[in-house]
Amino acid sequence: MTPSLTPLAIDVRRVVYDLVLATGRIPDSAELAHITGASREEVRAALRELEEAHMLVLQRGSGEVLMAMPFSAVPTPFVVDAGGVRAWGNCIWDALGIPIMMGRDAVIETGCGCCGTLMVLHVRGGDLREREGIVHFGVPARSWWEDVVFT
Amino acid sequence: MLLFRSEEHIDRWCEQWRRPRGGVMTLEQQWGMAIGWYAENRGDPSWRRKTVEEAEALFAELGLTGEFWRLR
Repeated sequence: MTPSLTPLAIDVRRVVYDLVLATGRIPDSAELAHITGASREEVRAALRELEEAHMLVLQRGSGEVLMAMPFSAVPTPFVVDAGGVRAWGNCIWDALGIPIMMGRDAVIETGCGCCGTLMVLHVRGGDLREREGIVHFGVPARSWWEDVVFT
Repeated sequence: MLLFRSEEHIDRWCEQWRRPRGGVMTLEQQWGMAIGWYAENRGDPSWRRKTVEEAEALFAELGLTGEFWRLR
């Protein structure tokens, strides 16, 4: 069950997604503090709240956002170009989710997990053009959040 | 979750990394899962995570059944 969130956590989540959907870039806590008018400490507490609710994943150490699913704050092998907005997905599931959440056409570049051969996928008019390729999930569904970075 | 060129490439990857073979789905199933999971703007104040029942129903709708896809 999803725990209830403080108004600041809800606002921080809104700002994170407003920015990442427009630019492909996840904002840091300083930018979030500037936009929401909260202190950086308050923003960090809100981010921790969102992580505990499994709505974001934070970077260990810095406490900055690592994942605002489906987006990644750091480079990954799942590169999405959605009409000129470039973003990284956390995995193939998330890379496909980016054009869906953005409501844009996109080109997704990744490599075969085994041999690294470039695989390019095209999303056009809400459809995925390619059908070739197969996806492997290494972690059973009920354990996805035990180590979500590995998952 | 990684994309592979073929089942054979998944087997090779599992062998190379000494990982057991997990759950496998077609790219089409993965696309359906992405639509089911990410169609909503998560910045919307009213957004909430799917319940376990809703997530399992989505998996079942996509033909993802069995122990690997159970959430409880």
